[in-house]
Amino acid sequence: MSEKKPQAAPAKPKSFGWIAEYVDEHSLLAASRKVRDSGYTKTDAYTPFPVHGIDEALGIKPTILPFIVLGAGFTGLFTALILQYWTNAYDYKYIISGKPFASWPANIPVAFELTILFSAFTTFLGMWALNGLPKLSNPLFNSERFDRVTNDRFFLHVDSRDKYFNRESVKDLLAGTKPESLEEVVEDSSPTALPSVIWLGLGFLFCASLVPVAVVLNMRAGNDENPRWHVFFDMDFQPKKKAQQTTTIFADARIARPQVPGTVARGSLVNEDPFYLGFDPTKQASLNAANNIRLVSAADDKAEKPADTAPDTASEKSATTDPVKADEPAKETPAANPPAPTPTPAATPAAAGGPNLPWITEFPLEVDASLIALGKTKFEIYCSVCHGYAGDGDGLVHRRAEQLQQGYWLPPTSVHDPRIQAQPIGNIFYTISNGKGKMAGYGTVLSPKERWAIVSYVRALQRSRNANIEDVPVEMRAKIEEAKKAE
Amino acid sequence: MTTTNSSDNLKLPEAWAGKYLLCFTLGVVLIAASGLVFFVGAPSKSDGLRFGMHSYLANFIYAISFGIGAMFFVLVSFLTRAGWSASIRRLAELISMTIPWVACLFAPILLVVAFSKGSALYEWNFANVEDIKESIVQAKVGYLNGPFFVTRAVICLGIWSLIVAYYYRLSRKQDETGDVGLTLDRQKWSAVLMMIFALTVSMAAFDWIMSIDADWFSTIFGVYLFSASMFGFFALMIVSFMLLQRNGKLKDEVNIEHYHDMGKFLFGFTMFWSYIAFSQFLLYWYGNIPEETAWFRVRINDGWQYLSYGLIIVHFAIPFLGLLSRHVRRHRTGLFFFACWALVVHWLDMTFLVMPNAGPFSMGMMFGHLLGGIGMFSLFIGFLLLRASDAPLVATGDPRLHEALSYANPLL
Repeated sequence: MSEKKPQAAPAKPKSFGWIAEYVDEHSLLAASRKVRDSGYTKTDAYTPFPVHGIDEALGIKPTILPFIVLGAGFTGLFTALILQYWTNAYDYKYIISGKPFASWPANIPVAFELTILFSAFTTFLGMWALNGLPKLSNPLFNSERFDRVTNDRFFLHVDSRDKYFNRESVKDLLAGTKPESLEEVVEDSSPTALPSVIWLGLGFLFCASLVPVAVVLNMRAGNDENPRWHVFFDMDFQPKKKAQQTTTIFADARIARPQVPGTVARGSLVNEDPFYLGFDPTKQASLNAANNIRLVSAADDKAEKPADTAPDTASEKSATTDPVKADEPAKETPAANPPAPTPTPAATPAAAGGPNLPWITEFPLEVDASLIALGKTKFEIYCSVCHGYAGDGDGLVHRRAEQLQQGYWLPPTSVHDPRIQAQPIGNIFYTISNGKGKMAGYGTVLSPKERWAIVSYVRALQRSRNANIEDVPVEMRAKIEEAKKAE
Repeated sequence: MTTTNSSDNLKLPEAWAGKYLLCFTLGVVLIAASGLVFFVGAPSKSDGLRFGMHSYLANFIYAISFGIGAMFFVLVSFLTRAGWSASIRRLAELISMTIPWVACLFAPILLVVAFSKGSALYEWNFANVEDIKESIVQAKVGYLNGPFFVTRAVICLGIWSLIVAYYYRLSRKQDETGDVGLTLDRQKWSAVLMMIFALTVSMAAFDWIMSIDADWFSTIFGVYLFSASMFGFFALMIVSFMLLQRNGKLKDEVNIEHYHDMGKFLFGFTMFWSYIAFSQFLLYWYGNIPEETAWFRVRINDGWQYLSYGLIIVHFAIPFLGLLSRHVRRHRTGLFFFACWALVVHWLDMTFLVMPNAGPFSMGMMFGHLLGGIGMFSLFIGFLLLRASDAPLVATGDPRLHEALSYANPLL
C-alpha cells in the first residue's frame, strides 16, 4: 500500500490526475464544458469565489440531499405529532384550558419546530457526509501552484479514478483548453494510519469518560451512611441555624423563638384581627379548650363502642363535631324562634353547621350608605349568579341547573333563610371568605372591606323582608303608600 | 447583452394591445350581472344590497392586491439593490401602475359609506351613534366614522398612486437616458417608502376589511393582507410572463432562472400566508374569548366551514407540496399550473375574508360573487393592457439589466 520511496525515485507515486490552472472564471467555465463533453465525470473545479453556472459546466448532477431532508422533515413532523398525541391524549391526560386532549391546533407549532429541527440537522450532517467531510488532507495540496486557488487562480481537476481516465489523453485534452499551467498531481504518499499517540489519547479519554458513569452507577446501586459528595458546595454549608435545630445562645436551647406575649408579628395581623377573620382569635382559646375535651371524649366513646353509638349519649357532642348531623337541628331550631338581629352565641355553632368560633357580632368598620352601595355592587358581581339579585338563592346558575333537571344539584342558600338570618355577621363574613359546601371562598378575590360590605348588604336584604314603615325615611313613605294603592 | 432598444420583442403582442376595450366591456357587464343576481336572487332588497356590497368589496380587494404586491416588489428590489429582477421588474411596475385606476373602483363603496347610512357593509356606518348595535363599536366611532373613513381611504390610495407613479416615471425616463442616477434616486427613497407602505397597507386592511366586523380586532391583519397580496402578485407575474413568451415575446429576457426565483417566492409566500393565518387563528383558538372568536365563528358556521377548512387544503397543502420541489419550480408547465391555481385560491381567500360577514353561504350568492370576481379581474386586466400598450416590457435602460440576463441559480 504505502510507497515510502522519495519523490525523486524513478518509480513515481500513484497519479491523482491532472490539474489545469486558469487566470479567470470564463476560461475555467469553457474548459469545464469541454471536459464534461468529453465524458469525464470525476472532475472538480476549485475557485477563489463561487462561480455561477459551474455546476452545469461540470455536468454535476443535482444532489439527492433534498430528498433525504424531505424524509427527515416528515420524520420530525410525525415524531412531534405522535409525541404530543401520546403524551397529551394517551399517557398523561390533563385538561389544559378546557381544550380536548388531542388538540391539533396546539400541536402545530411543535410539529413545525421539530420538522425544521430534523431537516436542519439532516441538511448539515448530510452535506458533510455526501461531501466526504471531514477531509483532513487533499492530494492537491501537494501542488505548490495550487496554493493560489484561495487567492486569484482557478483550477480544474480531472481525477485519475474516472473510469475513462487515460493519462495521455487527459493531458492532451486539458492542454487544448490553453491553461496557464498543467501538472499531474500525485496521491499523498504519507502514511494514512493515525499515529499511535492519538490512539493512546483517544483510549485514555474513553476510559476517563467511564469514571463518572461508574461513580453514578455505584451510588445508584448501594446505600451509604455518609453525606453525599459535595463537588459543588452550592452554599449547602452556612453558619446559620434552621428551624428545629438547637442552640446554646438561649437557655431553653430552642433556635425557633416563641412569640412574645401581647405582640403581633409583622404581616401576621391577618391572623390576629377580627377584621380579617370574622371572629376573635383571643377568645378562641377558651372555646377550643372545651372543644378539645369533647373531641377527646368523643374519640374515647368511639373507641369504647365502635359499632353502635347510641344517639342519646352522643347527640350533644356530635352536634358540634359532626357537621352532617348538625344540619338537622339547624333547620328547626331558629325557625322555632322568630328571627333575631343578634342570635345568642350558644345557638351559633349548631345553627351554622360549621366551625365553632367566637364570631364577632359588631361590624369592625363603619357602616354607612357608601359601604352598603359597595356591597351591592360586589354582591351583584360575585354572589348574584347563584344567590340571585335579591338573595333568594335563584340566580342564573341555579335556574339553568333547574332547567337541566340535574338531580345532584344542591340549590344555593337563600340569605332570607331563618338560619342565615340568625347567623352573626362574623359567620357570614367567614363563609364569604372561605366558602362552604359547593360555594367557593372569595377571600382571594375580594378585599376584607369588600367582604364586610357584602355582609352589610346581605343584612340590608334581610332587613328589607322584615321592615316596618317606621324604618323608611319620612319623605319616602308616601311613595310606598302610593305603590300599595296601585296594587 | 441580447437586447436591442424598442425592438418588437419587448412590446405587447399585437393581438393583445387592443383587447382592453373588450376587457372593460366584459368587466362592466359581468359586474352589472352580478348586481342583478344579488338583487333578484336575494330574499329582500336589503339582503341584496348587503351581499352586493360585500361581494364588490371582496373583488375590489382582489383586484388591488396585485398592485399592492407589485408596489412592494418594486420597492424591495431597489431597497436590496437586486440585480436578478431587473429584467422582470418592468412588468411589476406596470402592474403597480394599475393602482390609480383600480382605486377609482373603490368610489362606489366610498359613496355608499359617505351618503347612505346603514349597516349594509360596515356595522359602524350610522349617522346616530345610538343606532349601532354593539356598545363596543359605539366606542370606536371616533375612528370609524364615514367622513374620516373616506379621508383615510383617499389619502391611502393617493399615497400609493404617488409612489408607483414616481417609480414608473423614473423607470421610463431611464429607458431613454440610461442614467444611473435615476436608479440611485429610487434606491434612496425605497427605505422610507417601504415604511409608509407597511403602515398604509395595515391601515387599509384594518379599515376596509377588518372594520366590517368592527368589534373584532387582529393586529396581524395587515400582514395577512400583505402576505396574500404577495402570493397573488407572484402568481400573476408567472402567468403573465408565460403567456407573453407563448406569444413570442421576451424570449431572452426572462429565462428559467427567473421563473425559478418567482416560483420560490410563490412557494415562500404560500408558507408565509399559512404561517400568518395560523398565527392569527392559534391565539384566538387558545384564548377562546367570545369577542375574539366571533370572527372565526361566522367562518366555521352556516356553510362557510367548507371554504374556511378548504383553504387549508387548497391555499396551503396543495401549493406547498406542489411547489416544494425545485423540479416543479423549474418546470414551465408545472409552474404555470400552480400559478393559475394560486390566482384562483387567492380569490377564494379574499372571499373568505369578506363574504361570511354578509350572511349564510348560498350557491346563488356565490354565483353572483363569482360573476363579479371575473368582471373585476377583467377590468384589472384591461387596465394592465392599457398601461402596457405603450411601454417596453423590459426596463431597457436599467444598469443592472446585464446582471439579470446572465444570472443563474446555483444547483442547490
